[in-house]
Amino acid sequence: MTAMIGTVRRQVQTYPFFSAWLVFLSALLLIGLISAAQVLWYGLEVTNLTNRVPWGLWITVDLSAIALGAGAFSLSTIAYIFRVKSFEGIARIAVFVGFVGYTSAMLALVMDIGRPDRFWHPVVYWNIHSVLWEITMCVIFYSTVLVFELSPALLESDVVSRRFKRGPQLGHFLHRFTPFVSVFGLGLSLLHQSSLGATYGVLVARPIWFKPSLPVMFILSAVAAGATLTLGITVFYENMVRKRQITTRLRNSVAMFGGLMTLGYLYLKLWDFLATSYYSHLPERVEANNLLESTTPYGVTFWWIEIVVGALVPAIILLTPRLRRQDIWLVVAAILAIAGIVVNRWNVTLSGLVVPMDWTPGAAELFPVREYVPALTEWGVAIGVVGYALMMFTLGLRFIPLFPEEDHDEHH
Amino acid sequence: MSDEKFLTRREFIAGMAAVGGSVAVAVALSQIKPLEELIQEELAIELPEIVREGEGHTVDSTHRWGMLIDLRKCIGCQYCVYACQAVNDVPDDMRWNVYLPDVTETGQPFHMTRPCLHCNDAPCTAVCPTKATWRRDDGLVVMDYDLCIGCRYCQVACPYDARSFNWEKRKGPSGYQPEWGNAEVKRRPRGVAEKCTFCIHRIDRGLANGLMPGEDRPATPACVNICPVEARVFGDLKDPNSRVSRLIEELPTFRLREDLGTEPNVYYVPPEGMSI
Repeated sequence: MTAMIGTVRRQVQTYPFFSAWLVFLSALLLIGLISAAQVLWYGLEVTNLTNRVPWGLWITVDLSAIALGAGAFSLSTIAYIFRVKSFEGIARIAVFVGFVGYTSAMLALVMDIGRPDRFWHPVVYWNIHSVLWEITMCVIFYSTVLVFELSPALLESDVVSRRFKRGPQLGHFLHRFTPFVSVFGLGLSLLHQSSLGATYGVLVARPIWFKPSLPVMFILSAVAAGATLTLGITVFYENMVRKRQITTRLRNSVAMFGGLMTLGYLYLKLWDFLATSYYSHLPERVEANNLLESTTPYGVTFWWIEIVVGALVPAIILLTPRLRRQDIWLVVAAILAIAGIVVNRWNVTLSGLVVPMDWTPGAAELFPVREYVPALTEWGVAIGVVGYALMMFTLGLRFIPLFPEEDHDEHH
Repeated sequence: MSDEKFLTRREFIAGMAAVGGSVAVAVALSQIKPLEELIQEELAIELPEIVREGEGHTVDSTHRWGMLIDLRKCIGCQYCVYACQAVNDVPDDMRWNVYLPDVTETGQPFHMTRPCLHCNDAPCTAVCPTKATWRRDDGLVVMDYDLCIGCRYCQVACPYDARSFNWEKRKGPSGYQPEWGNAEVKRRPRGVAEKCTFCIHRIDRGLANGLMPGEDRPATPACVNICPVEARVFGDLKDPNSRVSRLIEELPTFRLREDLGTEPNVYYVPPEGMSI
């Protein structure tokens, strides 16, 4: 610990920007801690959630965090299951991004449930018919997988190996199990990334949600954005340390993968729209969509942010050799992909809830459109979670060997 | 929690309808059993305690509890709403049993009330990650407040908005005791979901003491007992000779959102002017 603090101190003295960054992150974390304390002390009454809109900003935070962590399973599947040797160069950072994503999601989730002290209940009291139960189990198991996959890197890090001399050796031993663990991780990820969509898709009474496409849309968008984010973080880090970490070939391959996945997602999303809203006219769904169009910015954010800015533009950047050659464009693609995911998860969560359900037998227009604007405390917790993620990236990239030591690209 | 706007157009219309309704109620009430008497009968209920745990009554599928709500009879007095709140200690913004003014397609106003419908295939029980809510063999959809983690998926899944969440630690009385009855169940803790139970405590203790829910007052839900026009009838849907079964047999009935396949155990008799 003291060595770590010493390193940070040296870092701060050498790079004033770095210290400013740490101050900024600490401020985010402080805001988060104050808000979290408020939630734990006063309960969820400090939020703007209601009995009619019981899910809000925090759901968007944890769905987005889990989606953005999907690079972990997709890229390590390519590296360890399909045995594409070159992808091993990005597998570790992908797993690390996944780890940060999943732990961020769990932080937001613990804040969101009414009884944080009972977060472990689904593990003991099973309801195998519940999508949410399946998700909870998968997320818990998968986080364990991520820790295991990350452990060789942790054991090899200076911080650990200085104290635990045989760390790297143990890490090397554990690394041999990675292919098996990856298979397990692939299964778990496929399950819960999809069933997060099914959480909404199975609710028969909500015409906006009730459709079989949501599980597929969730996993495809997650794989696309997860890979894009992993690449963006890698390139950003390369610029921070002014040294290439992955080969140009790998960079192109990952960009191609992310780009094609994004195109695939766009294609299915187009058909999802066409099939449910253009070529068919289920009265309830039409009515719900009209209500959304007239009372929320849903239409604008759907077309412009989810589709154009959040998916189409990143796909073009990733698939155009001239653009993806430039670092700045890859970082832009990653930022846009994050925006696309966040806005999509927000739209999915809220669109189904703000449209009231009509269960009365009569014809009176009784149920007003439900409104929800997150409370300051909700924003505070969300900011804290983002602060946590950024802090983890900062420390992880600084102290854990997340990229292969040798065979750096000589072309740069 | 405070996202209420001050009087939207719909609320205004609903309010006007309520005012109109109240006048009708006053007129109607002058002709029926006085409220004072009904409430005294409710307050007089002394619930026999179950002598020993596990003794007497076992929950099995010999009964299936259900309700009939006759919308032709309902006068919109909302006594059922208040009695429920008193007996189950429910505040205004968490009502288990709700009232709303409604109109038929031909424009005739009628009064709508809705307890939990205790669906046979209840979406809330399917989605609960811990089985904190489940359907008992006797048809009651119940909650275990000790298992609930407060994820609120049940609220999102219920097609009838029949679930409430304890957003805060509640202070003070519900506002309806003792005028409308005494609190007969424990208040729920902060952070868990809750719902109408068909006054499960009365049903269970009643059966354990040889009383029949729907027939004997102390074993019957408070909303049914308090209704001055007997618009609500409760009983065993499995018993073809129970009053509720016979009425469902005789009268035209419908259930809410039957298209969803939830199979509610609450039946409605349509009001005048509504075709089903």
